[in-house]
Amino acid sequence: MSQTPGHGGDQKPGKLKILADYIQSTDAWKSFFRTGYPDSLLKRMAVMRSSFVMHILPTKVGVHGLKLGYTWCMGGITLFLFLMLTLTGVILMFYYVPEEHRAFTDMKDLKFMVPYGMIMRNMHRWTAHAMVFSVIVHMARVFYTGSYKPPRQFNWVVGVILLKLTLLLSFTGYLLPWDQLGFWAVTVGTNMASATPLVGYEGPFSEFLGIRVDNDIRFAIIGGTRIGPNALIRAYVWHCVGLPLIASGLMVFHFWRVRKDGFSGPL
Amino acid sequence: MAEEVSGAPGDAPSRRKFFLITGWSSLGLFLAGAGAAFAKYFYPGVLYEPQTTFNAGKPSDFVKPANPNETIVDERFKKSQRVWIMRNTNGIYVMVAVCTHLGCTPNWFPGEQRFKCPCHGSNYNTQGEVVAGPAPLPLFRAKLSIAPDGSMIVTTGLLGIKRAELQYKKGVLLPRWTDEEKKDIAKAPYFLELKA
Repeated sequence: MSQTPGHGGDQKPGKLKILADYIQSTDAWKSFFRTGYPDSLLKRMAVMRSSFVMHILPTKVGVHGLKLGYTWCMGGITLFLFLMLTLTGVILMFYYVPEEHRAFTDMKDLKFMVPYGMIMRNMHRWTAHAMVFSVIVHMARVFYTGSYKPPRQFNWVVGVILLKLTLLLSFTGYLLPWDQLGFWAVTVGTNMASATPLVGYEGPFSEFLGIRVDNDIRFAIIGGTRIGPNALIRAYVWHCVGLPLIASGLMVFHFWRVRKDGFSGPL
Repeated sequence: MAEEVSGAPGDAPSRRKFFLITGWSSLGLFLAGAGAAFAKYFYPGVLYEPQTTFNAGKPSDFVKPANPNETIVDERFKKSQRVWIMRNTNGIYVMVAVCTHLGCTPNWFPGEQRFKCPCHGSNYNTQGEVVAGPAPLPLFRAKLSIAPDGSMIVTTGLLGIKRAELQYKKGVLLPRWTDEEKKDIAKAPYFLELKA
């Protein structure tokens, strides 16, 4: 399946070759490169049909896949909520400054002084709650219709990463009002990172790597040893730029993969 | 790679393979280096945080209690350094104001002689021992030393969060000090004995 044309004739396969063969036989490899090495015309066709980015449309769509009620459209609603969050988020960015002495008052200004600021902030907040909900319902639907099964198993993995990103987006947004609730929630939440094995200073085996409170993974997340201005700006950048970019890229891949694989069979 | 290349010099496919491997390895090395540099970017070289070591003034600045059972808690360094300076009839010790449950800041209630964490209700006595709530460890002590001018130098561990070494070494989680630990925290560097 995954044999590459060798150059060595009948000589024994080297260790590297055995390793390469093993890697190419794993599920993870087959999820990325689904057809194996394209050493025949049929496989080349399969590469074009199933993996090539130009062929965005699926080769066939089942009749059941066209029924509106089939998917509940929770994935589509999630995308809609994400776009709405982007829009309201950008609008909030005009007033909010992620600086220790301004963050809280800016948020208060948004609520009480800025025309339509209250509705923008609340839309941003409630849409975020709704997005977490819709992602979970979407996953439940995928689970109950068995849509996570091969050949869609890799898209389930991408979906799980997207769920994590959704939760991380909510979490990084939590600190931004710089109020008691968010401040202590993020204090507690990032303290968990210090218990990470190897790279957290309170985690197991950290002493072998010389991990201290000022060089562990929590330090990299909050840019210091305590929640302070560095943590605020980091949460802001991850929230507004970093995580949405990663999520967007994965979403594009997720949707493309849905189209390639078509819809799963009827219930 | 080795057996392929060293097999036959001048063998065209081997040489091609060698270049292929070299090329991809170089790209891999470059990407690994770039990735490491990107990771390193998240570790700032300078921090604008309160110093881990600070001067807490002269021991005489802290009022001695009249009653030997009473401890006076001085809160003047709570906001800036997150510690309490504790004065009993024998001397001074410094407690780190970080709840050992989840890292919040407890408050001092003089009427009850207790520290209470507002989040999940951990209560500590003046020795820092847990008397109620979910906290797994007593409040940590900071180190105390005396500068040449007679003022006290407080070191809040590594920026005040690192666990007190005595508990850490034992690897046990007890909400109260053991008898052995009680001896440790009653002497330098965790306790400054004052005569008169």
